Amino acid sequence: MGCRDLITWLDHGCGVQYVYEDLLNLAVEHALKLGASYAEARYHRNETTSIVMREDRVVGTGLEVREGIAVRVLYRGVLAFASTEELNSESVRKAVEIAIARARALESKEFLHGLAPARLGRAKYEVVMRKSFDYEPIDVKISRMKELFRIAKNSASKAKLSSFAIEYGESIETKHIVTSDGGDVESTIPRVYMLANIVLSDPQRGTMQRMIELGASGGLEKVEEWNLPSKISEEVRAIEKMLLEGVAPPREPVPVVVGSEVVGLIVHESAGHPMEADRVWGREAAQAGESFVKPDMVGKESVGNELATVVDDPTIPGSFGFYLYDDEAVPARPKYIYFRGKLNEMLHNRWSAFVFGVESNGSARAMDFASEPIPRMSNTYLTPGDRTFEELIEDIELGVYIKSYMEWNIDDVRWGQRYVGLEAYMIRKGELAEPVRNPVLEITTKSFYSLIEAKTKEVRFYAGICGKGEPAQGVPVWFGGPDVRLGKILLGVVPT
Amino acid sequence: MSGLDLLELGTFVIKKGSELGFDEVAVLIDRSRSCMIKFANNVVTVVQSWDNIKLDLYLAKSGRIAVASISSPSLDKIEKMLNVYRHRIELMEPSELYAELPTPNGTPLQPILDSVLISEENKVLESVKDMIEHAREVGAQRIAGMLEFGYNERILVTSTGAKLEEKGTYVKTYARAFVGDVSGQWAWTSTRFDRDSIVDVGRRAARIAVEASKLPTIDVEPGRYDVVLSPLVFANLLNYVAFAASALYALLGLSMFVKYGPGTQVSSEILTLYDDPHDDKLPGSTGFDDEGLRTFKKPLIERGVFKTFLHNTKTARKMNCVSTANAGWIAPHPWNLVVESGTVSEDSILRELGKGLYITNNWYTRYQNWIEGQFSTVARDAVFFVENGEPRAVTKRIRIADYMPNILRNIVALTKERFDIAWWEVDIPTRAPYALIRNVMITKPTI
Repeated sequence: MGCRDLITWLDHGCGVQYVYEDLLNLAVEHALKLGASYAEARYHRNETTSIVMREDRVVGTGLEVREGIAVRVLYRGVLAFASTEELNSESVRKAVEIAIARARALESKEFLHGLAPARLGRAKYEVVMRKSFDYEPIDVKISRMKELFRIAKNSASKAKLSSFAIEYGESIETKHIVTSDGGDVESTIPRVYMLANIVLSDPQRGTMQRMIELGASGGLEKVEEWNLPSKISEEVRAIEKMLLEGVAPPREPVPVVVGSEVVGLIVHESAGHPMEADRVWGREAAQAGESFVKPDMVGKESVGNELATVVDDPTIPGSFGFYLYDDEAVPARPKYIYFRGKLNEMLHNRWSAFVFGVESNGSARAMDFASEPIPRMSNTYLTPGDRTFEELIEDIELGVYIKSYMEWNIDDVRWGQRYVGLEAYMIRKGELAEPVRNPVLEITTKSFYSLIEAKTKEVRFYAGICGKGEPAQGVPVWFGGPDVRLGKILLGVVPT
Repeated sequence: MSGLDLLELGTFVIKKGSELGFDEVAVLIDRSRSCMIKFANNVVTVVQSWDNIKLDLYLAKSGRIAVASISSPSLDKIEKMLNVYRHRIELMEPSELYAELPTPNGTPLQPILDSVLISEENKVLESVKDMIEHAREVGAQRIAGMLEFGYNERILVTSTGAKLEEKGTYVKTYARAFVGDVSGQWAWTSTRFDRDSIVDVGRRAARIAVEASKLPTIDVEPGRYDVVLSPLVFANLLNYVAFAASALYALLGLSMFVKYGPGTQVSSEILTLYDDPHDDKLPGSTGFDDEGLRTFKKPLIERGVFKTFLHNTKTARKMNCVSTANAGWIAPHPWNLVVESGTVSEDSILRELGKGLYITNNWYTRYQNWIEGQFSTVARDAVFFVENGEPRAVTKRIRIADYMPNILRNIVALTKERFDIAWWEVDIPTRAPYALIRNVMITKPTI
């Protein structure tokens, strides 16, 4: 067999130079020969380097290289997936045979699965790093993180910085997808990621904790764009202010300005997730849950007003959720999930498109070679409005601005949700005033999208790892939006 | 890697690492073959199969430490990895957590190998159909869930002399049954196949849904309630407690045990929670940790008192104590969680509750502040409103929003019956009872 299995991992340039194309073709051909009506094979490699720091000291560093081949077949109406880490023809054939044998054992006439026809890509693309990961050696990166601790410590003037930890990661994801109906897409996407945990404490006022997550596709130029020294300093000063001076939110309903970070999370949780078509069908019912959206509601019913337009767009350059073709080789495009309040377009892979009788809109993502491609978000945001922040708050006599959050969750049909503010301020006579500690926005999806009164012009994005599927798959996403002004709401408060 | 002796491979890596100048080298190899059947709306939605070999590598030189992981390890790949780190480790700084790898004293447990899970897979696949069928017979209109089974080999070789190998099988399953717009869920895990237990998961999930479907739906006001938590909910919360008991997470500021250290009464005396790596029914069992130390059963919380952080040699040195044989080279972690039995029967716990809420399942547990233990978690599936010890109605969209220490201190009863749970929201295999907890803060959206 002519497979070129020369590995080039640890080559931080452009990912792999030699791919396992022969093995992918072998997998697809073998599956068809054994009776599959559809087959796809994906070489998928994730290389991740990480550094964990506690204060200004190194805890450890890590390097993970995982690569393998995923095979998915459709056999007599059963969808079967198998993967192998052993990159040789024998193991790939065996993976195909296991998938088909198990599909055969589970064959049922009750429901025949299928995949919708799709316009598939034949393409190769790559995100180019302007500053490669090798541009700075590891000791320089460690020095920069030590400097962040020094900045954080110096930024707290009265409270004590009682905990400061950073996890920093660089990754390269390389994929080659071949399908039995003509798809053939290769891609290489480098990403950078950072998570910081900051805890400030005061003997009288207790503790406050903030997690900061940053992520982007690209090289070290993205880390520079984050301007970490300034960001860390601002965050520490803000947390200290909340801890030492925070007061309870008003006890009557007031206008609430929700900052873009919280807005981004809200649209991810209450627009993106409930519009994942597999969830709407019930495929994730026992895991991440179902959806308040029922199939006959899409295109007809509304959950918000004219200002409630939410987009999921994988094609945003530099984004954490960036891709140009999904993991079924379908071209990516922006999807208007909610359009002027209406449930507009679900996120589909080819399986859910088949179930709903539509075309896939390129939302299939798989975390790694051991994962099946399922409908996922990429970069989800609320569209911008026409106000400046000053204009947004200028006529608020008494209100609350919630800029960031820590705790959040939502029920498994994506209707009732809770966000506990971290950095928050009173608004008095059109100006930001004293800090507010632990305001709670506990609201339904329809109330949030119906209460939007105005939005700022600027959309800002935030990074996260979104979890779904079984086994759970974490995929990088951005979520974002403008700052949003909501009508009067009675906020809760967490007792301290 | 087919046919390659994994112990030999580990030994090769140790030798190669030493030749390249590393002070210490440890190799952990996991080989697994597993299968997962997912189902929803009463039909199988996908069957997934994996055949994996993963090699984890620990390297230390002059107090600097690095961990690496590669899939499908070949001699060539491993040499490349070692060479990368030979140069990279020189640029690093000594880890504040560095401690020498210990002299190994662990011994493998007797292999827990169920031949059904290895060679009679059609029997296992059939049990999924049986579970769906029985849940429907009980009255479920729709059923969704998952069954996973597999075989694992775990091999540890260290430059301090460990050469250890362990084998085992496992099965875990959970099901969610729907009747109209109410649902129930149950879960089970084991090292051995048992068709009856699998079918019982479907039955129990369906019974909860059927019972809920017969009751009216009411709204409850936010406020403090006495609650009964099902073993699924209690296991989920205890998984977070056990995470917080890892000494590394305390050092990183992600643990309430920073504030409530060993020796502190953190719970009511009713709760005793063990990390038990030697229970032959729970799939997390092992005779040795990742540093080669002999594992042992230990209380994390004994009659309400927090007894110990979970340690590897590094965190133990940092905190001036000894390892609890819970390595993780970097992060210590529990193997299995076991709650000591209570005194109340499953049948009578709602009578003990009298008036309050019975929460059958939860998800999406998130913290506002890990140090304070301030969190919330969302109830899912049926939540019963109980009066005079009887379910009178069901309610929706509530969450527990409280402090974990409050929850633990307000436990007033646990059941005699315990259930071996693992599911999407319970990572660590946990033997948990039902728990009766007083005065729990319940919130819900009011807008």
